[in-house]
Amino acid sequence: MPDWKTEVRQRLAGLRLSPTRESEIVEELSQHLEDRYEQALRGGADAEEARRAAIQELTESDLLAQGLSRVERPARFESVAPGTPRRFGMLGDLKQDLRYGVRMLWKNKSFTAIAVVALALGIGANSAIFSVVNTVLLRPLPYREPERLVMVWEDNSKIGYPRDTPAAANYIDWRDQSTVFEGMAATADRSFNLTGAGEPERFDGKRVTTNFFSLLGVEPQLGRAFLPEEDAPGASRVVVLSHGLWQRRFGSDPSLVGKTVTLNGEGYTVVGVMPQGFQFLSQDVSLWVPMAFTQQQAASRGNHYLEVFARLKPGVSVERAQAEMSTIAARLQQQYPEQNTDLGATVVPLHEEVVGNIKPALLVLLGAVGFVLLVACANVANLLLARAAVRQKEIALRTALGASRLRLVRQFLTESVLLAALGGLVGLLLSVWGVTLLKSFIPPNISQVKAIAVDARVLGFTVLMTLLTGLVFGLAPALQASKFNLNETLKEGGRDAAAARGGNRVRGLLVVAEVAVSLVLLVGAGLLINSFMRLRSVDPGFRTNNLLTMSVVLPPQKYPDQARRTAFYTDMIRRVEALPGVRSAGVTNWIPLVSQGDSIGVTIEGQPAPTGKPNIIVTRVVSPHYFDAMGIRLLDGRAFEEGRDRIDSPCVVVVGETVARKYWPGEGALGKRLSPGKPESDADWCQVVGVVRDVRQMDLAAEPKPQMYFTYEQADFFAPRHLVVSTEGDPLALAGAVRKTVWEVDRDQPVSNVNTMEGVLSESIARQRFSTLLLGVFAGVALVLAAVGIYGVMSYSMAQRTREIGIRMALGAQKWDVLKLAVGQGLKLVALGVGLGLVGAFALTRVMSSLLFGVSATDPATLATISLVLVAVALLASYIPARRASKVDPLIALRYE
Amino acid sequence: MSYIGSDILARELKKGSAELLILSLVEHQPRHGYDIGNLIEQRSGGVLRFNVASLYPLLYRLERRGWIQGRWVEQAGQRRRRYYKLTAEGKRVLAAQRDTWREFVEAIGRITGMEHA
Repeated sequence: MPDWKTEVRQRLAGLRLSPTRESEIVEELSQHLEDRYEQALRGGADAEEARRAAIQELTESDLLAQGLSRVERPARFESVAPGTPRRFGMLGDLKQDLRYGVRMLWKNKSFTAIAVVALALGIGANSAIFSVVNTVLLRPLPYREPERLVMVWEDNSKIGYPRDTPAAANYIDWRDQSTVFEGMAATADRSFNLTGAGEPERFDGKRVTTNFFSLLGVEPQLGRAFLPEEDAPGASRVVVLSHGLWQRRFGSDPSLVGKTVTLNGEGYTVVGVMPQGFQFLSQDVSLWVPMAFTQQQAASRGNHYLEVFARLKPGVSVERAQAEMSTIAARLQQQYPEQNTDLGATVVPLHEEVVGNIKPALLVLLGAVGFVLLVACANVANLLLARAAVRQKEIALRTALGASRLRLVRQFLTESVLLAALGGLVGLLLSVWGVTLLKSFIPPNISQVKAIAVDARVLGFTVLMTLLTGLVFGLAPALQASKFNLNETLKEGGRDAAAARGGNRVRGLLVVAEVAVSLVLLVGAGLLINSFMRLRSVDPGFRTNNLLTMSVVLPPQKYPDQARRTAFYTDMIRRVEALPGVRSAGVTNWIPLVSQGDSIGVTIEGQPAPTGKPNIIVTRVVSPHYFDAMGIRLLDGRAFEEGRDRIDSPCVVVVGETVARKYWPGEGALGKRLSPGKPESDADWCQVVGVVRDVRQMDLAAEPKPQMYFTYEQADFFAPRHLVVSTEGDPLALAGAVRKTVWEVDRDQPVSNVNTMEGVLSESIARQRFSTLLLGVFAGVALVLAAVGIYGVMSYSMAQRTREIGIRMALGAQKWDVLKLAVGQGLKLVALGVGLGLVGAFALTRVMSSLLFGVSATDPATLATISLVLVAVALLASYIPARRASKVDPLIALRYE
Repeated sequence: MSYIGSDILARELKKGSAELLILSLVEHQPRHGYDIGNLIEQRSGGVLRFNVASLYPLLYRLERRGWIQGRWVEQAGQRRRRYYKLTAEGKRVLAAQRDTWREFVEAIGRITGMEHA
C-alpha cells in the first residue's frame, strides 16, 4: 500500500503546524486517501490506477496548503520533541529545556523530593558554615583600616610564653623608639564594681591609654573619647561606657554623658558611650577608663600585664615592623640584662590574633561540609544515573529524531541545575535556621559571634555552590545518557545494552567515592570525638563535682590593704561554711581554667638563677581551706592552717609536684626555701611546708605548669577574687544563700560569674565541643547519605539481575549463594572505598593536628574502628536488597518483563 | 460547460454552496470526511465533487468557526476516523444559510426565468 502519510506530510511542510495538529491532519487525510484507493481497487482498477486516483485527490498540492494556510495557524513555539535539531536558537532551547525539566521533576515527585532533601542538607550545611567563616574570618574587623592594626607581644618563648603581655617600661620604650607605627596603645584588664542605684554589679573593664579609641578609629556614639591629658596620674576620673551597659543599666539615658557613676567606690564622670558592638579583643568589656602609669610603674620591667597594639604607618609591612621591633627588643636585652634577657617582641596582625585560634577549626569544618556536599552530589548523581537508564528509550527516540549529543547533555544539565536550584533554595532556608543554631554552639569568646548572619555574600556563595553542584552531579549522568548505542536500545529488550553496564560501572565508582569521602569525614569526627573524650577524662588535678564558684572581687578603694581584705574574706568564708549543705569554702586569685595570668619569678635558695632566666612559677594566693574545698590532694607535708600561718608568722609556701621535682629532685621539697622576687632580707624567704598535686591551671589540654600557693594572710602581691564552695548536693541550689551571705558581710559587694566548676570546665573546652559536635553531625549525615547511596545502587543492580538470579536459582543456587553474590558485590565497592578513604584520611587529617588532643592524626584504633563501622553499615545497606533478591521466586523472575 | 465563463461560475457556485452542503450533511448524524465527500458526489450525481485538497480545509474552517465539531472515533476492526457533527451554533448558521440560499435561488429564478425546483 502506498505511503499516504509521506505524501500528505510533504504538502504540509511549509505550514509550520504544531506537531500534534500536523499528525492529526496527516492521519485524517491519509485515511481519506486510503478509502479512495480501496474504493478504486474495489471498482476494478489496478493498484497503479487506484493510487493515481487517490493521489489525484491531493493534486494541485499547493491548493491543500493554500486552503489549510487560510484555516490553520502555525504553531507559536517550535515544540518539537526536546533534543531535535534547533531552529530557534539558544534562548528558545533554554526555555524549552526548562519547561521540560520542570515537567520531568514534577512527574517524578519522590525522586525529586529525595534529591532535593539530600542537596538541601549539603548546601544548607555549607551556607551555614560559610556564614560563620564569612563573619569570623573574612569580614574585616570593625575598625578603621583594620589591616594596619597589629598586636605587639613580648616574646618569652624560652619559658613557654611566645605571646606574653609586655611590661610597662618595655611598652614605653617600644612606643618611643619605633618608627614604623602611627601610634601604639596599651590596655590592661580591670574589673569594676558598680554601685549606687540597684544591686551592686561587677563588670569587666579595661584601662586604656588615651589614644586607644582614636588609634582604632572608632568614635563614641555619644559624648567624646579620652583627651590626651586624661592619662596623667591623678587626673580627673572619666569613663567611657559600652553600648550594652548604657542600655541595660542606664536605660539608654541620652543625658548620661557628664553625669557621675560610682565605680569601685569612687565617682567617675561619664564622657562617652561607644556604639553598639564595639569591643576589642575581649568580648564583654563594659567600660573603659584612662590608664595612668606612676613613675614606678613606668619603670617596671618585671610586671607583665599590658596588651599592646599599634597601627602600622601606611605602606609598612608586618615583616618590616617585626624587624624593627626585634632590633629594639635586642637593644633592650642588652640594656636591661636583668629583666630582658631572652625577651623578644612579636608583631601579630590583629586579624590573626582575633581569629587565630578558631581558624583551624572553622577551616576543617568548611572542608567537612564541602565533603558532605560531595557525598550528596554523588548520591543525586546516582539517582539521576538510575533514572537515565530508565529514560534510555526516550533518549533513543530523541537521538533518532536528530538530537545532537551536545543538545542532550544540555537538556540533562538543565534538569540537574534545576534540581540543584530547588535544593539550594531549601538549603538556604535550612542555613538561616542552622545559623541560629550554630550561634548557640559557638564559644562566646569568639569575635563577632553576634554578627553572624546570612548576608549577600553568603547568598552569593550559596548560588554559586548550587550552580556548581548542579553541574557536578549532572555531568556524569548527562554524558552517560548521551553516549550509548542507539540501535541496541531501540531494539526490544534493549535493557541489557552495553550502556546499562557502563552506567553500572559509573554508579559503582560513585559509591566508592561516597564511601571514601564519608570515611575521611568519619575519621576526622572520630579523631575529634576521641580527643574530646580524652580531654574530658583528663584529670585536672582537682574535683569538679559539687563545687560552686563565683567572683567576689573587692574594690581596692574600699579595701586598700591586705588586712582589710583578709578580714572580709575570713568573715565571709566562716559564714559561708556555716551554711547548711556547705562542706568547706575557700578563696583564690584565679580558679583553674579561667586565666593565663599571675605568675611570679622566684628565687630558689641555694640555686642562683642564671641571669635573665627567672624561675617563673604560676602563683595562687588562697585561703586555708582552698585545697580541701577544691579536692586538691596533699602529697606531702601540710596545707595552710588557720591561726598558724598568719601575717606575723614566718612565710610558708605550698608547691606543686612539678616544682618539687624540678628544683629539689630526689631530696624532697619540704623545709626548702624560695622567695617571690628577689629576697632582700631573711624574712623574704618562704619555707615549703607542703607539696600538692599539680592542677591544670590554664588549660585542660596543656601539661600543668610549675605552680605554688601562698596563703592570703601572708601574700599581698595578688588579691583573691574567686570564691569556691564545696557542697553536699547541687551546688547551684546554694548560690542564692551564698550570695546573701556575702552581702551580710558587705551589702555593696557585687557577686558575679556564679557557676559550677563543671560549668567552668565545660566552658573552657567549648571550642573543642563546638568542632567535635559539628564534625560529628556532618560525618553522621555523610554516613547516612553513603548508606542510602549503597542501598540505592545495590537494589537497582539486584532489580536488573532478577532474571539472572532466577536462572541461578532455577539451576539450584540456594538463597545463601544469592546473598553471598549480592553482598559480595556491595562489599567489593565498600572495600575499595574504604581503601581510598584511608589514603585520603591519612593525607587530610593531618591538617587537624592542632585540634587534636592525646591522639595522633593517624591513630590506628580510630582508623580501624571507623573502617569497621563503615563496612558494617555498608553490609547492612547491601544486605537488604540482597535478601529481597534471594527471596525471588524463580518462576516469577524468569517471566520478568 | 464548454466555455470559460461557465467554469468560473461553477467554481464560484461550488464555493458559495460548499458550507451549506457540509452543514446539511452532518445535520442529523456525524460523518467522517470521506463519507461527506462521497455523499456530495453521489447526491449531486457527480456534478459536485470535492477532493481532499478542497474538502478538508473547508472542514477545518467550519470546525474552527465552531459550527461543526470533529472527534476521533474508534470502531472495532477499523482504524480510527474523525467524525464531524453539527454544533448548536452550526445549527443556527445552517438555518440562516438555508433561508439565504432559498431566497437567492428564488431571486435568481425570478430573474432568469427558471422554475424553482
